[in-house]
Amino acid sequence: MEQTTVQGQSNLVREVLEKGICVRCGACVGICPYFQYHDGKVVVSDWCQASTWRCVQVCPRLPYDRASLYDYFYHVNDCTDAIGPHRQVVAARSGDKLVRSAAQYGGVVTALVIFAMEEGLVNSAVLTDRGGDLAPKGVLCSDREAVLGCAGSRYSASAALSELNLAIQAGNDRLAFIGLPCQMEALGRLSLSEPDGQERAGHVELKIGLFCTWALDYRALRSYLKTKGIVEIPKKYDIPPPPSEVFIVETNNGRMEFPLSEVREIVQPGCSLCEDMTAEFADISVGTLEGDKQWNTVIVRTDKGMELFEKALRAGVLEQKEIPSSNLEHLKEAASNKRKRALRARGEESNE
Amino acid sequence: MLLQANEAIARGALEAGVIFAAGYPGNPSSEIIETLAKASRDLPIYVEWSVNEKVALEAATGASFAGCRAICSMKQNGVNVVSDFLTNLSLSGTKGGLVLVSCDDPGGISSTNEEDARAFAPLSDIPLLEPSSPQEALDMARWAFDLSETINNIVMIRSVSRLSHSRSDVQVKDLPDFDVQPYFDTKVSFHTFPIVAKHQARHEKLRMAEELFENSPFNFYRGPSRPELLVIGSGCAVDYAIDAIEIMSLWERVGVLKLGTTWPLPRKLLLENLQKSESILFVEDVDPFIETNVKALAAEAARQVGVKTFHGRGSGDFPLCGELGPSHLLEFFGNYFDLDWKDQEFRNKMGSLTKGKIPPREFGFCPGCPHRGSFYAIKTALAWDDRDGFVSGDIGCYTMGIWPTGFNQVKSVHAMGSGSGIACGYGKLEGFGFDQPVITVCGDSTFFHATIPALVNARFNNADILLVVLDNSATAMTGFQPHPGTGKTAMGQPTQPVDIAALCESMGLEVHVGDPYEMKETARRLYDLMQKQGPRVMVLRRKCALVQGREGGFPYDMHVDQSLCVGEECGCGRYCTRIFRCPGLIWDKEKKKAMIDQVICVGCGICAEICPQGAIKKEAKG
Amino acid sequence: MELNVIITGVGGQGNVLASQVLGNAAVYKGFHVSIGETFGLSQRGGAVMSHVRLFKEPRYSPLIPPNRAHIVVGLEPLETLRIAQDHANPETLFIVNSRPIYPLNVIAGDVDYPDTAWIRQVLEQGGSRLYWLEGTQLAIELGGPIMLNMVMLGALCAIQSFPLETKDIKDILGEIFPQSKLEVNYRALDMGEELISNYEN
Repeated sequence: MEQTTVQGQSNLVREVLEKGICVRCGACVGICPYFQYHDGKVVVSDWCQASTWRCVQVCPRLPYDRASLYDYFYHVNDCTDAIGPHRQVVAARSGDKLVRSAAQYGGVVTALVIFAMEEGLVNSAVLTDRGGDLAPKGVLCSDREAVLGCAGSRYSASAALSELNLAIQAGNDRLAFIGLPCQMEALGRLSLSEPDGQERAGHVELKIGLFCTWALDYRALRSYLKTKGIVEIPKKYDIPPPPSEVFIVETNNGRMEFPLSEVREIVQPGCSLCEDMTAEFADISVGTLEGDKQWNTVIVRTDKGMELFEKALRAGVLEQKEIPSSNLEHLKEAASNKRKRALRARGEESNE
Repeated sequence: MLLQANEAIARGALEAGVIFAAGYPGNPSSEIIETLAKASRDLPIYVEWSVNEKVALEAATGASFAGCRAICSMKQNGVNVVSDFLTNLSLSGTKGGLVLVSCDDPGGISSTNEEDARAFAPLSDIPLLEPSSPQEALDMARWAFDLSETINNIVMIRSVSRLSHSRSDVQVKDLPDFDVQPYFDTKVSFHTFPIVAKHQARHEKLRMAEELFENSPFNFYRGPSRPELLVIGSGCAVDYAIDAIEIMSLWERVGVLKLGTTWPLPRKLLLENLQKSESILFVEDVDPFIETNVKALAAEAARQVGVKTFHGRGSGDFPLCGELGPSHLLEFFGNYFDLDWKDQEFRNKMGSLTKGKIPPREFGFCPGCPHRGSFYAIKTALAWDDRDGFVSGDIGCYTMGIWPTGFNQVKSVHAMGSGSGIACGYGKLEGFGFDQPVITVCGDSTFFHATIPALVNARFNNADILLVVLDNSATAMTGFQPHPGTGKTAMGQPTQPVDIAALCESMGLEVHVGDPYEMKETARRLYDLMQKQGPRVMVLRRKCALVQGREGGFPYDMHVDQSLCVGEECGCGRYCTRIFRCPGLIWDKEKKKAMIDQVICVGCGICAEICPQGAIKKEAKG
Repeated sequence: MELNVIITGVGGQGNVLASQVLGNAAVYKGFHVSIGETFGLSQRGGAVMSHVRLFKEPRYSPLIPPNRAHIVVGLEPLETLRIAQDHANPETLFIVNSRPIYPLNVIAGDVDYPDTAWIRQVLEQGGSRLYWLEGTQLAIELGGPIMLNMVMLGALCAIQSFPLETKDIKDILGEIFPQSKLEVNYRALDMGEELISNYEN
């Protein structure tokens, strides 16, 4: 990457922020004072005048040679599997009823993180909090209670990588990071970045990725709900699988449904440029199991991921079952469609 | 004794037996009331800082109507504020001698504008006196009260910054007895009806004054009987003209008619002197006031005085703006008489040695100033909001929010209270699609002076305004004068303070109180407030750093751990010195790291929060 | 007869107080005095200049005409250099404190503060004589940077061609400072005087 003076931050701002395609992963926040995250948005707070930059190297919305990431993590040139390189795909759920009740679906993420902490594999984990008046944000958790407090699905971004950046800078080691495909990609780019990306990424011991088709702009969501008469903070959101086309919002006053087509208007524009639905650069990726609210789909990708997953099964922390082939087919189709849409949007349609 | 001209004016007023003084702080006038307030410790007089200039003049007028001598002082902008009252008062007339002192600021050295308040004298048909020295300021101040009582109208004295703040040795007279019994004679009334008749009477009063001016010692001529060039002028400009004549030995060729009574013009005196020379040079600050009026007089009397060649600001020889200085006069005489006066060799030598090497000195908030914290919080909150928000500014130290010291947040500044007034406009644009958040700032003193009506307006019309009151418990920019919120009067008497937050609450506004030193917390609260509607107020309360410095100081010893400091590299980019810009936090050029200037840093500790590496350390003192 | 002294520095250095003290002392010594100031907004870290003029006859003129300063007392090096071209001349005597007060725009990295050794050299070349004093250091030893103005006044009094002595200043200090502050200010004046009498180029 060419190093020209005062080009780094302004490039990022021109190519990503001003074009409105920032996905609020938070990779550029927490490294320096010039980008900040607050209430669902990454903003420029001042103009930097450094002559080398970390931010442009990690932003997942800037063009990049994806092959170098496949090579670095998986020692392959490319991957034609719609759901990315992996060792196995199963259905799984937490063995703990308490965890399952706090969770959106099978509670696998919560269970794995707690287990990893209790096993000493990680010291602490960066997850995303529930949000409230303000948009969700990243939070550093060091115990079971804190992790449980983060259970459930968010439908908007939280720039949680900013918390990870701060945790690394504060000297924390053996961290877990739980986040979206764009964030996994950013962490991948971090590993390959100068001057100290590999060293920084080395503080992250475990990466758990979440399936993601898109994320909502939280401020726009808040305005949207206000127009629908909802001013209090919702307890839970949900999007049931197709053919259902609704967005469910649960508040203290009850449960409401809104047309998904309306909600799609407030999806972050940058999400349409993202080709990765299943977080290909995580150790373990977790998502819904269509048609079965008690379980998750789990994709185990790396050796580290396999080791943890098997340990968790043996300890009874997780239960697994075979994933029905129709589910797997649907998953791959959805992932493949997301990739196609993204490549088209980026003007990089493949020849397949 | 050595007196500042403002002190001399105060002294002159006391020698005239003034027992009532009121004003509002404004540079360069503040010392007049301050001197009188100090004198009130030993003399039976009353002195107050009023909430604004209009009320100040009105209060002084009450004393005048009750037969007592009173003085009211202000800067040029204050005359604008009193103008509605003044133009009515000069119709009703006065009783006890009443003098208005306007201290103008040519060049706008400490103002938001440059304005020549002398225009109000012909506008209100009142006499105008302009001193040219501290001695004259004293003598005019003393005499003006006699003049006021002779014509039963208010008299204006006009000084300028250069004079007001200069000192010289003056002769003083004894102070009188101050034996005064205020009494309002109910057989007399002070109103403006019938208007035209009163207007006519007002002109009569001016004619009376003019007659007195014809023989006034405040006007004098010095020079040959038939000079090649006649200088007519007032104020400090005349002093520079005299200096220049001395330096260039021109007393055989140039005459100076110094005027101290400049409205109404003493026409006989002028006509007499105009005949001395064909060439006339006008010297005065700022507008060609005397010049324009004398030109009219000369045109009227052309058959008597002859045709003249005029020089001055209005005639293109001096700029029509800015202060006249010694160089202007030397330059003019040099060209007019073709004489050399400049040490051009020295100037060229110094110029070439130093060209481009002397950086300007940027203005900034003092170390420890709470406004730095306030603007930092405002900047952060506006950035987070990301809708191109901005600040509507007002008058005080915090006016500097227009510059880098206040992070360039403030986008407009006009008169006292105007920030909130303008915000009432922005606050009704939402229906047209305007969604940029506007933060309005005002100081505690400004709040009382002029913001309250705008705030009531916002409540009344339900405007979306977010007012941040920067309450540093002082009228700081002008010299820490007390105001209604500080609990003490000009004379040092304790008084019930007016609580800004409580006053706003009583109007049904949403009110919050915070600490500008808590920058992150304040930013969060401002961000939340920005998302709401209607009139909202946040009072940021923290004592002015200069006051705090005198009342016990600050709690921290600061230093930078240079091993943690990242400096110019990615991750910092000299954030503290380049962006935060506190004078106590400087750059170690050798080591390329930040460091604390222990001579300047006061130890407020707030910079510790802003370093991304946590390299700025604060330790509790002692 | 006229003697023109310029005291120049940065807002907050006690420039105006110094000119007031000087003026008072001169009046007691029988001079007619005229002092012109520029301050106000400039208190907030901006440049401040006082023109102190001593006359034998009654005269008032608040500004020294261009290039007619006999003595320049500089409380800060950059501010001294700034006024030199317009106010000094080859006969001017400079008494300058060596320690900079960095402007905000220098601190922020927008501009550079000139090398003080270069400032010293230019002033030396420009005027007739330069006394380059470690004023701030001495002031700090005496109690704090605020003592600088008295130190520099003491130095001024030590100059042969200047008609006042430290004794003249001490005589009137009681009218300006409270009793408790007199002792330390007397010391500041004395030590400032010593700086000149012990001065080696």
